[in-house]
Amino acid sequence: MTDQITASSSSTVFRLLRFAFANIRRRPERFLLATLGIALAIMSVTVVRTISASFANTGSASVTRVLGGDSLWVVPASGIHYNSAADAIVADGPAPTMAVPSGWTAHKVIAGAWKPNSATVAVYGSSTAKPGAAVLGKKAAADIGVSTGDALPFGGQSLAVTVRGDDSIVTVPYDAARSVVGDRGWWTLSEPKADKGRNDLGALLSSSTGLPSSTNPADKPAASGHGLIYDTVGGSGAVTFEQEFSALFSGKITGSTLGLISTIGLILGFVIAISSFLASVQERRREFGIMSSIGLADEVLYFFLVESAVIFLAAYVIGISTAGVAVALVVPGIATPIAWAQAAGTVAAYLPAMAIVGALVPVHRLLQQRPVELLSETS
Amino acid sequence: MIRLGLSYGLLSSKRRAKAMVLPIVTTATGAYLLVLVLSMMSGIKAQSASLGHGDEIQRAIVLIAVIVLLVGVVEVAVCTTRTVASRTRELGVLGATGVRRAPVVAALLVEPFISSVIGAAVGALAAVLTGQLFAATGMASSGISTSGAAVGVVVAISVSAIAAVSSSALPSWRAASRSPIRSLSTGG
Repeated sequence: MTDQITASSSSTVFRLLRFAFANIRRRPERFLLATLGIALAIMSVTVVRTISASFANTGSASVTRVLGGDSLWVVPASGIHYNSAADAIVADGPAPTMAVPSGWTAHKVIAGAWKPNSATVAVYGSSTAKPGAAVLGKKAAADIGVSTGDALPFGGQSLAVTVRGDDSIVTVPYDAARSVVGDRGWWTLSEPKADKGRNDLGALLSSSTGLPSSTNPADKPAASGHGLIYDTVGGSGAVTFEQEFSALFSGKITGSTLGLISTIGLILGFVIAISSFLASVQERRREFGIMSSIGLADEVLYFFLVESAVIFLAAYVIGISTAGVAVALVVPGIATPIAWAQAAGTVAAYLPAMAIVGALVPVHRLLQQRPVELLSETS
Repeated sequence: MIRLGLSYGLLSSKRRAKAMVLPIVTTATGAYLLVLVLSMMSGIKAQSASLGHGDEIQRAIVLIAVIVLLVGVVEVAVCTTRTVASRTRELGVLGATGVRRAPVVAALLVEPFISSVIGAAVGALAAVLTGQLFAATGMASSGISTSGAAVGVVVAISVSAIAAVSSSALPSWRAASRSPIRSLSTGG
């Protein structure tokens, strides 16, 4: 019995698909045009989402690099910013003065932008860096033109170069960094072993240092204050600090002109879908009149759902592929395959809703009419 | 003969003005965005520069504005498929009385041409007015470029017209190629 039900339901889907394809064959040009319109709309949204996803990845990677496993980040009152030329976060002022409470592990870091030639790289100075050595990311090494084993002239010293990682950051001893980029910097701290797992570390450090703390990267330090503690492990939300930080990056794109235009594009694509479905309702009214007069009113919905699903699926495949080609050609420096895949995933999330609503509108129009009205030629 | 086809198309477009509203609106939306983006390019440039990769983002914005214009134009072609479907019997009469295919196609292409040009012109005009409004109220901090707007108007109108006519060509051609007896017996 169960087998029979399974068999019949799968053959129903198959029949619906065959019916949908028969209708598509009847008006192939309309199918092509509707698909083309939606595909273009999906393409524009995917391009924007790809750019925003790659910004988010950059933001997330740069903050992970800053924290280096620590849980608190104490930034100066003048704040920090992402230097897009150096692809890294740098500080805008000196790290706040504070007494590190006992038991805590603190890293005072110098972080500033350095222009050794026409390129800009970020310099991170840390007291844990090996004296007389500089660790460069691949991009920084390429920009400066050095490789492992070379000597890097840096603030009057000569540092032995090691290339590690892909970023555009030069990690050098604290004092060397300070002599080149000045006092700009921040602290990163880890809690004492006894306090591991607590989610109020920010408040804990805040009470002993007097600096305000926040778990939200969108909060900026007060310019008149002494600095701000970012608690990267605390807070009650399900979203991590890194994710929130990267959302600030992608929000810049989705909230910009690009985001607005692509949203309007998507709305236009949706209008095309509905208008083409309404056109086919108009042409097939007698067919639907026959169906609803023999009590198949609900089945009409399935016909449209399957047809709409076929159109949206085809448009999705075309749209994301052309978007992939477009980003590779137009924004090669920003887009990465991973960002494109993320964008394709995001767009896929709201397509089903569009496909369903797109099918419901014409069906609603049909079901409002009595079968006899549908069958009569005049209306 | 083509001339007669065109004037016949013009007459029937007047008759079907109501059906042209939606394609005009969608084309106008696309054209509006494109012209506005091109005329406010310097402001957008400044905004993208703050995000890094200014040039690439700027190219992406132009690309997306053009795509949105094309999305708007596709609606014109979808509307053409609707037109040819509802005029099947009329096309059958034309074919049965000996009118050749070329003038029929020309007549059918008048409507998409008119709706795309009107749509693009309306959208471009609205964008230019919005630009003036921004400039007058000081909302566009980096100014409105007249040359950018001029380029935008030309691109919007020509791209819409070409895209609308070429995407409507296939459905019109197919409709004009049906045998008159079929069009007369099955058309609605």
